[in-house]
Amino acid sequence: MQPTRRAEIPVLAFSAANALGTDADRILDALRAGRTGLAPCPLEIPFPTACGMLPGALDPLPARLRAWDTRLCRVALLSLEGVRPALLAAVRRHGPERVALVVGTSTGGILETEAAFLAWAESGRIPAEYDFDRQHALHGLLEVLRAVTGASGPAWIVSTACSSSGKVFATGRRLLLAGLADAVLVGGVDTLCQTTLRGFGCLQALSPSPCRPFNAQRDGTSIGEGGAFALLAREGEGPVRLLGVGESCDAHHMSHPHPEGLGARLAMEEALARAGLPAAEVDHVNAHGTGTPANDLPEARAISAVLGDLVPVASTKGYTGHLLGAAGATEAVLAALSIVHGFVPRSLGAEPVDPGVKIAVCRATAARPVRTVLSNSFAFGGSNVSLLLGAA
Amino acid sequence: MTDLHAGGVGLWTPGFADLAAFAAGVPGPAGSAPRAELLPAALRRRATPLAQMVAAAAAQAAAQAGADLATVPMVFGSALGEIGLAVSMLGEFRQGEGLPSPTRFHNAVHNGPAAYVSIATGNHGFATALAAGPETTAAALLEVAALLAERGGEAILALADEPAPAPFAPARPFPPLAVAIHLSARGGPRTRAVLRGPRREAGPPPDLPSPYADHPCAGGLALARAIWAGAAGPVHLGPAGERGWVVELSRGGAP
Repeated sequence: MQPTRRAEIPVLAFSAANALGTDADRILDALRAGRTGLAPCPLEIPFPTACGMLPGALDPLPARLRAWDTRLCRVALLSLEGVRPALLAAVRRHGPERVALVVGTSTGGILETEAAFLAWAESGRIPAEYDFDRQHALHGLLEVLRAVTGASGPAWIVSTACSSSGKVFATGRRLLLAGLADAVLVGGVDTLCQTTLRGFGCLQALSPSPCRPFNAQRDGTSIGEGGAFALLAREGEGPVRLLGVGESCDAHHMSHPHPEGLGARLAMEEALARAGLPAAEVDHVNAHGTGTPANDLPEARAISAVLGDLVPVASTKGYTGHLLGAAGATEAVLAALSIVHGFVPRSLGAEPVDPGVKIAVCRATAARPVRTVLSNSFAFGGSNVSLLLGAA
Repeated sequence: MTDLHAGGVGLWTPGFADLAAFAAGVPGPAGSAPRAELLPAALRRRATPLAQMVAAAAAQAAAQAGADLATVPMVFGSALGEIGLAVSMLGEFRQGEGLPSPTRFHNAVHNGPAAYVSIATGNHGFATALAAGPETTAAALLEVAALLAERGGEAILALADEPAPAPFAPARPFPPLAVAIHLSARGGPRTRAVLRGPRREAGPPPDLPSPYADHPCAGGLALARAIWAGAAGPVHLGPAGERGWVVELSRGGAP
C-alpha cells in the first residue's frame, strides 16, 4: 500500500439491534453472559438450520414512508435508535448537506421481493402494496434514512456481500478526510430471507445447529439479521475512535477464501499501517470466524502472520449469527463494547478448538483493559476489510 | 475537491462495442456481445452478462489510459446489480430441491463484476461496489474522489445496469449498459479531460437519446460520451430536479 497521513476519526455514538437484543445494553448483557441468540430457523426452507432472528415484532414505518416499508427498513430504524440523538445534533450543527449516509447491505429488500414473486407465480398478480423501486432497490433504504434523519449529504449503499458494512467505515473515513462531509452515518442492515438461507444452503455452508467458529467439529455458519450504526465525525469526542481501515481483494475465487488468507493479511496490514500502529498494540481481534470449514483456518493463519499467536481472538457469530451485509458494522459495535466495558468475549462454541488453529481463541469471557480491537469481515468475490478501533 | 483526470473511457451496450461506435450512432455486429477477453475463458464461461460487459468496458478505459488493471483500484456502481440472477433464483426456489445453483448464488452479489475483474487480473488492491439509485453515478464519482484524495494514484470507475426481468420489468424499458472511465489524481500526456465535482445542482436529466435517458447509468453514459467527444462545460449526471448532480468538464492535454 501507499503511505497516507495518520488520522483518527472520533466515533460519536454507536448502536445495534440483532438476535442478542434490540439495543446495545441488551447486546452487552448477552455477550458478557455468553448467551447465544441463535435458535432453529423459523423460515420455511428445505433443510434444518439455526439462525439469529431479531426478537419481537418490528414497528411499521411512519405513514408517510409506508410505500418504502420493508423488514429491512424496520430493522434499520430500530437499530438506528441509539445513534439518532447524536445524528440529529450533527445535522443541526453542520447543516443537512454536510452529513453523509453510507450504509452496507447485501439483502436489501429482497424479502419483500420473494413474497411478491411468489404471489405473482401463484396468482399472476404482484401485490398492490409491493413497490420494486422503493422496496427492492437498494436506495430505498437511503430514502428512508434521509427522511427520518434530515441528512441530505452524499448518500450511498455499499454492497460487497459480507464486507459491505465494514467497508462503509473506510468510505466514511475518506469522506471526512477529503472534506466532503463533516459527519457520516455509517452502518449496515440485513434481514433473514429465502435467498441467503437457500443460497448458503446450496453451498453446504450452513450448520444444522448454532455455528461453532474455530471448533474442530465446526460444520458451517448460521445466518443472522439485524443492523448497526455509528456516527463518524471530523471532530468531537465519543466513546471510541476509528484508528484505521484496510481493504483488499483475494483475487482468488468468487466464494472460496484464499487458502493462506492472503487478502485477509493485506487488509489487516493496511489497517495497522493507516493507523500507524505496530501489531503489538492490538489487544483483541473480533474475527470474521464464520464457522465454515473453509473460512476459519485461512483467517487464523492470516491473524497469526500479522499479529502473532498471543492476541485473544473471538468470533461473535456464535452469538448473533453471520449478519452478512450487516456483519462489519455489527462487529464494529461489539468491538466498541469490548473497549468501553473492558472485556473480551468468549468465542462461543469454539471448544474443542481445531488443533490447526494456532491463535489464542478466547475460551472464556475475561475482564481486561482493551485499548484497540481489530475487526475482520471477508466476503464473496474475495472482498476483505479490517477495521481498527481504539479507546477514545 | 481534487480535480479528476480522465485518461480513458469504455462502453458496451447492445449494438455498440465501444464509445467510438456509440458516438457514431450506428449499431454494428461488433456490439452483439461484449468482448470480455480480459476474463480467461474458464472465468468468462461462469461470468454473468453484467460482469462481462463491465470487463469489456473497463479494459477499453484502461487500455486508452495505459493503465494496468492488475493494480488499479475499481469503484463499481450499479443501481440494481445482478437483478436478472436475483429474480431467476426466486424461480429456482420453486423447483426441485428448492435450491439455486452455487455459481448463480455467488454470482448474484452486487460486487460480482468487480470481483471477476480482480480475479482475472490478480488485483489484490482496492475494489468496492455501491448503489444509489438515480444518484449512482455521482456516488461512484465521489467515492473515487475520496479514494484518490486518500491515496493518490488512479482508479477505474465502472457503472453498469441491466433491466429487471418479468415480473419486475421497468415501465420504461432500457437496454443493458456498462461504461467505464479511468480517473487519476494527476494529469498526464493521456489525459483527455479534467473533471471538477460532482456537486449538487438542480438541472435537467442527462442529455441522451431515448432508450438511455431513463437508464440508471445515464449520468455515467453522458459523462463518458462528453469525455470521448472532448467536450467542455457542465455535464448533468441526473437525476432531474433538485437532487441533481453536475460535473464541470474541461479539456485535457490529449487529443
